[in-house]
Amino acid sequence: MSSLVLSAWSAISPYGVGNAPLRNGLAEGRDAVAALDRDLHEVPFQQAALVPDFTAARYVGKKGTRTMDRVTALAVTAVGNLVESVAEELAARPEQTALVLGTGSGSVQSIMDFTKDSLSGERPYHVEPARFPNTVMNRAAGQSAIWHRIKGPNTTVAGGSLTGLLALSYALRLHRGGHCARVLCGAAEEFSAQRAWLEWHGRADEERETPLGEGAAVFLIEPAEDAAAAGRTALARVGATRFRAYRGTDGPREALTACVRSALDTAGVEPGAIRFVAPLGGGGKLAAEEEQAVIDALPGVHPEWIRMRERIGDTSAAATALQLAAVLATAGEQGLGPGEAALVTGVERDGQVGCAVFTGG
Amino acid sequence: MVYEEEQRPRRVVITGLGAVTSIGLGAPTFLAGLKSGRSGVKPITAFDTTGFAHANACEVTDFVPGEWIHHVDPEELGRATQFSVAAANMAVADAGLTAQDLRERRVLVSVGTTDAESRDLDTLVGTQLEEGPERLSPGLARRAQAGRLSSGIVRELGLVDVEALTIPTACAAGNYAIGSGFDAIRHGEVEAALCGGADAVCRKTFTGFYRLGTIAPEVCQPFDVDRKGILTGEGAGVLLLESLESALARGARIYAEVLGYGLNCDAHHPVAPDQDSLARCMEIAHRNAGVAQEDIDFISAHGTGTRANDVTEAGAIRQVFDTPPPTVSIKSMIGHSMGAASALAAAACALAITEGFIPPTVNHRETDPECGLDCVPNEARPAVLNVVQNNALAFAGNNAVLILGRMKEAA
Amino acid sequence: MTTTNELNAEDRARIKGIICDILEIEPDEMTDTSRFKEDHEADSMGAIEILSQLERAFGTDIDQAELSRMVDLDGVVTVVGEAVAAKLARAN
Repeated sequence: MSSLVLSAWSAISPYGVGNAPLRNGLAEGRDAVAALDRDLHEVPFQQAALVPDFTAARYVGKKGTRTMDRVTALAVTAVGNLVESVAEELAARPEQTALVLGTGSGSVQSIMDFTKDSLSGERPYHVEPARFPNTVMNRAAGQSAIWHRIKGPNTTVAGGSLTGLLALSYALRLHRGGHCARVLCGAAEEFSAQRAWLEWHGRADEERETPLGEGAAVFLIEPAEDAAAAGRTALARVGATRFRAYRGTDGPREALTACVRSALDTAGVEPGAIRFVAPLGGGGKLAAEEEQAVIDALPGVHPEWIRMRERIGDTSAAATALQLAAVLATAGEQGLGPGEAALVTGVERDGQVGCAVFTGG
Repeated sequence: MVYEEEQRPRRVVITGLGAVTSIGLGAPTFLAGLKSGRSGVKPITAFDTTGFAHANACEVTDFVPGEWIHHVDPEELGRATQFSVAAANMAVADAGLTAQDLRERRVLVSVGTTDAESRDLDTLVGTQLEEGPERLSPGLARRAQAGRLSSGIVRELGLVDVEALTIPTACAAGNYAIGSGFDAIRHGEVEAALCGGADAVCRKTFTGFYRLGTIAPEVCQPFDVDRKGILTGEGAGVLLLESLESALARGARIYAEVLGYGLNCDAHHPVAPDQDSLARCMEIAHRNAGVAQEDIDFISAHGTGTRANDVTEAGAIRQVFDTPPPTVSIKSMIGHSMGAASALAAAACALAITEGFIPPTVNHRETDPECGLDCVPNEARPAVLNVVQNNALAFAGNNAVLILGRMKEAA
Repeated sequence: MTTTNELNAEDRARIKGIICDILEIEPDEMTDTSRFKEDHEADSMGAIEILSQLERAFGTDIDQAELSRMVDLDGVVTVVGEAVAAKLARAN
């Protein structure tokens, strides 16, 4: 019997670049949402939670970043901080490390800017070819691999606000199928004017005002014995991921309750062991249903709730990955303790729910 | 994740095919097109092509969404999602299953794509330029989400115990999606998988390839000495996968067995392919599938028809194979349908195994000696096929190779 | 016969600025004959990017076949000069 563990992580959040800013921001209970400079951002929102002073040139470097878009720079930076943990393995056998990265629709800003150039230029092909790859949704994962020489499977995953959980599920399956020795897995999302306008128009009235956030979180997933051999602390064991749809017979609450129960069962975790719950908290009344679903699945349990969306806004595709990062940030340097477990949940307005269970010790 | 080591991996078979292509809708019509070497090329109608010196593509022109989508309002779906939902319905019916059957099973839906609903994003840019961002259509903004490609299938079929996964790993995404479905069934994670890929022709992608000088003026001629590039295309391919045990128990027709797949990343260049890395990906796939290079009876190549792709891919094949088997590109018929491409090619491989033929590479005049492959020019060839290989490459050096085999009884 | 339009110093500086921006080098690193590929690590994408940006900047079409001549600043200036001349000739 072997089990997969999270043995390193790397986050970029509206608290700043790196794990320490997230840890401190959460510990202080600080709100990272701030007024938007409307001269800089022509968007329908008054507020947003941006990664402070983040630019590709500053964090990735001046060379090779002229046409790098924001979501790619966030991914390259987050993956870069993570690969420091596996530098030796990566240098020795680059083909054994997989990268699985979640995205919303890539960079809608890059995609729509490219079409804009075609529609408004003197000729319809007066576009910048070097920016064309930015309009293809595997760009962030692909550039991260190129930048850090990661030659194993390189997969991009999308699924709205469940993206981070889906990337995790895909990564577990990939590893189980024998396609890699370890996986770097996570998700990234950028703030952009174009994403802001699409969200503004696409959202229901009740959630329209929720400020947008951005960021990225990536995790090193590897067999427990590999982590031990390399001297990396197993911060959490990956118990299970589960998903369900709720447009049929069940509502979101029933669907998520069933999901959580099934995940706990698969992971062999008693409800009472759950110490942390990090819900998505999105979509107006869906947020209340989500929390109620968790309470239904954990009767009589009083976990610590980590509500990221209140602090860092709607980080869309990166949300569930940042929720997991927040769990690890809150659990401390040694990760989840023996007998402890954590639950990350999400309800996607498009009709799906999902969760992941992690255990300690 | 706890692995139950005592549980033996299951064999995975393809029992349903759905195909939305420029040479036919549904597996039987697609098959007829492959056998007769039909070409889907015609002038682009998806957007105004004024100002481009040439603008042919392989569009799906006879697709009436309401004929193929029964429960979700097609207006709520972008064109790529309409294709993926239609192809999923076809695959389920082709497998002799109903939506109700699938509601009672644990299912993975995995759909690959390059552009998702970038066609809607093009439309939104047009509105934005003319009327301002305040006037964007909420309906379009909602449906222009990559996740919809798989969640649309979930909604249409009313699935309950389901994971909806969209894999935007560009032009190799179909193979990635099928691979994940294969692993999910192989290890008993789900009982059925609907997996494949979908994309719709859009201005953004046509313009990008045009600007790179890689769009062929008239037709797509993979491996030809006079090849001039790709033609963009569109459509969807969806495969229904289940375990051999499940297929036998319900007396299902089995097209082919999924033997395995391999993935890797060049980690070298944003757009240029890498021969050594692609060769390694083929070897990884062979190892995963438990086959040797001499077992492969034909290769469905990525075969885009650009100078760089075809010569690099042919070189990688010659590197891996002592005697390269016939190597064809159905992109000569249906163009480059992006995220759908390798899913439709996988469907073509499954049909080829079942029907005993190798699809042709059409528009072929003279094989490029630098490629030096038997590309089965212009006419389909009868053949007994036991093991076939389906190549896919994508920007950023994302390679995916899938191996299918004729269904044989367990030894 | 190809006519050449002598570009002025200002145009030449503009071209150099565009190319240096794409190649991510400082203007003083580039001479009239330093080669983009061999000396400045340009790849095929860099070459097509240079062609595209010049088309936009000078409102002209440059055939991709000209890429074989666009290997250094002098070569590019010649090609752009011809393209501008051809455009003027068409306009007259």
